[in-house]
Amino acid sequence: MTPPAVSASGFGWRYAGRSRPALHDLSFNLEPGRLLLIAGPSGCGKSTLARALAGIVPHALPGAWMGVLLVGEGEVASTPPGVLGQRVGLVFQDPETQLVMPHVADEVAFGLENRGWARDRMLTAVPAALAEVGLAGFEARLTAALSGGEQQRLALADVLAPLPELLVLDEPTANLDPPATTAVLQRLAVLAARRDRTIVVIEHRLEALLPLADHVLLLDDDGGQVAFGSPREVVARHAGALAGGRTWPAVVPCVADAPVVLAADAVSATYPPVIAGSPRTAVDRVSFVVRAGERVALVGPNGSGKSTVLHLAAGLRRPSSGSIRLTDPDGRRQDPARLPSATLPDRLALVFQDPEVGFVARRVTDEVGGDDPSPILERFGLAALADEDPFRLSTGEQRRLSLAATARQRPALLLLDEPTFGLDERGRGRVAALLDEGRAVGQAQLMATHDPRLLPGCDRVIALHEGRLVFDGPAPAFLASPPYEPADPWRLGSVTAGDGVGVTR
Amino acid sequence: MSFLPAPLVVRSSAPLARVSGVTRLAAGTIWLIAAAAIPDAEGELVLLVAALVGLVVWSGIPLRPLPGRMWPVALAALGLGLTAALGNTADRDPTLPTLLSWGPLRLTPPGLEAGVALAVRLLVIGLTSLLVFAPADLTRLADALVQQLRVPDRLAYGSVAAMGLAPRTAADWQATGAARRLRGLSPRTPAGRLAAVPGRLLVVLVMAFRRGERLALAMDARGFDSGLPRSRFRPVRAGPLDALVLAAAIGTVLLVAVIGQLG
Repeated sequence: MTPPAVSASGFGWRYAGRSRPALHDLSFNLEPGRLLLIAGPSGCGKSTLARALAGIVPHALPGAWMGVLLVGEGEVASTPPGVLGQRVGLVFQDPETQLVMPHVADEVAFGLENRGWARDRMLTAVPAALAEVGLAGFEARLTAALSGGEQQRLALADVLAPLPELLVLDEPTANLDPPATTAVLQRLAVLAARRDRTIVVIEHRLEALLPLADHVLLLDDDGGQVAFGSPREVVARHAGALAGGRTWPAVVPCVADAPVVLAADAVSATYPPVIAGSPRTAVDRVSFVVRAGERVALVGPNGSGKSTVLHLAAGLRRPSSGSIRLTDPDGRRQDPARLPSATLPDRLALVFQDPEVGFVARRVTDEVGGDDPSPILERFGLAALADEDPFRLSTGEQRRLSLAATARQRPALLLLDEPTFGLDERGRGRVAALLDEGRAVGQAQLMATHDPRLLPGCDRVIALHEGRLVFDGPAPAFLASPPYEPADPWRLGSVTAGDGVGVTR
Repeated sequence: MSFLPAPLVVRSSAPLARVSGVTRLAAGTIWLIAAAAIPDAEGELVLLVAALVGLVVWSGIPLRPLPGRMWPVALAALGLGLTAALGNTADRDPTLPTLLSWGPLRLTPPGLEAGVALAVRLLVIGLTSLLVFAPADLTRLADALVQQLRVPDRLAYGSVAAMGLAPRTAADWQATGAARRLRGLSPRTPAGRLAAVPGRLLVVLVMAFRRGERLALAMDARGFDSGLPRSRFRPVRAGPLDALVLAAAIGTVLLVAVIGQLG
């Protein structure tokens, strides 16, 4: 009988300086050629397990190792990282911090050079790996000029090229829009169907992955093992833990004659060129209004101008033509870029896609501010972290904090850039609750999002495509006939492999 | 969202783009030493003409965007040249003829010579740097440094990877300013803005550091610097063209020396 590809026995890990372990008492065996899905709430140690499989834990990060974790027949803790690196390929969440070289071919070759491959072998392996992820012919392109989805597929090619026995993907689609997510998942389905290598995938969004998985490892909040088994068994016994959270409540119809809070009038914005040449148009003559008490979703593929519209509305960038105006309670129209900083917190807030850039304090409690921030911290599940440095929180905690920081002031206009990125079901529930409270008191909300599950909770959808407004109307009408190819990864017809089960919603 | 200029797109078939980065560095170093050592304006002018010929004929650098990039160098050269010309000690010698005068300022032939020499020297230095660094990308330079000068892989390719993160850090800086403004923390006075810099800098540095850390982990996970000898996907070999470029650089300097002797 062949030995398992991955075998854990009472495995655990505690990072140096932390009192509680990130992972504890994990015991499971994974046969070669199978796909394991690791699921669990955000901050439960899923990424730590990915790091351990690749040997980053314990070889590059300090801490305490417990139990046994075998990759193949080698104990991770006693296998030199160089040897482990030959056998394991790890893809991270963020394309930007895992691409090393400026050009695509050099990027794929980087890992092969590290392994000492002969040049002749690299010259055939690089195009082959690129073709495998659908990037054939991209060799001479600049990695910085690729879209997020292309970058993530490139990262997949990077780790496929050296033919690892074990492929570990840590939320490979967390930062991608639906079409890019579909493209990555389709590649993953093809790889999984071949069964020639063992694959471990971490994903919050289970619907698309469950059909591909042979096994599911479910972790709890404290990094302990809840279940290990076939998707069918785990879904049947732990459906609550897997689905979690709450769904978005029914929409309260908004009053059509509510006062306008934000009005864009044929607004355009251009960017300097990425490489060379003429400036790109990011937003092209877009007009819309957002009224008090209205929740508007701003949708469109990556690069369609969603973030730019939010930045224009926040006065962070000036339009190249047209205008964008805030209306104050007395009906005066004001240019957001000209309002004094001190008056802005009551007027508008922007929740950045990258929460860290928005942090202004060194302690979580100071970030929320006010006389008594503890009720707000409590509601966002941050009470235990009140004295932490915002920069030391996990991704999900940081996003919750950036939302909590707007809960006290409750500005007339709340702008949100991908508010559910990196959040699990429970985190999404908290976002929904905050947004509902705000809207109940007449807050206008404009939310850029890739998450199709948020749309039914919105009063209206504004869709952008290549900088132009292509749809402005109620969410049901948008969902019934989207103005561009939505490529919704949550209803993947084409991605099916393995003998897993589907989850219907 | 970035204040870093877009990189110049250089014709990769150009001779200077095809030689090793180490060859360009060596040729450039010879020129820089010569530019610093040459005492007279004529010699500097010969170097400047040679640099311009190299730029137009050999470098493959597009000429159209250059004025937009090089004007600070030109302005500095003009300003410093003017200062040197008017502040020259020879200008106080009453026996010398006056070329120009304006109030207490007076321009004499040796002053003019000194000013022109300094201005041209600065232009030569600026152009030489452009010829050394613009023709090939960072990857090629790192390849040459690693393979020909035995610079450690970790240093060379670590720098290449870190440079890739620079535009993000520039964007972070702008975003932190925007975030503070929206939170009502934007200082009203220039002094207040100055006082806010350390706080913003800290955030940007923490983010850059963490991003660098993540990148280093990703590089380690791909077997970088694991102790195995690395192979080379882009071998760098010095060829006849490298010899030609070096010979041209040395030849120009010798020509300048000969002209200096004759004059």
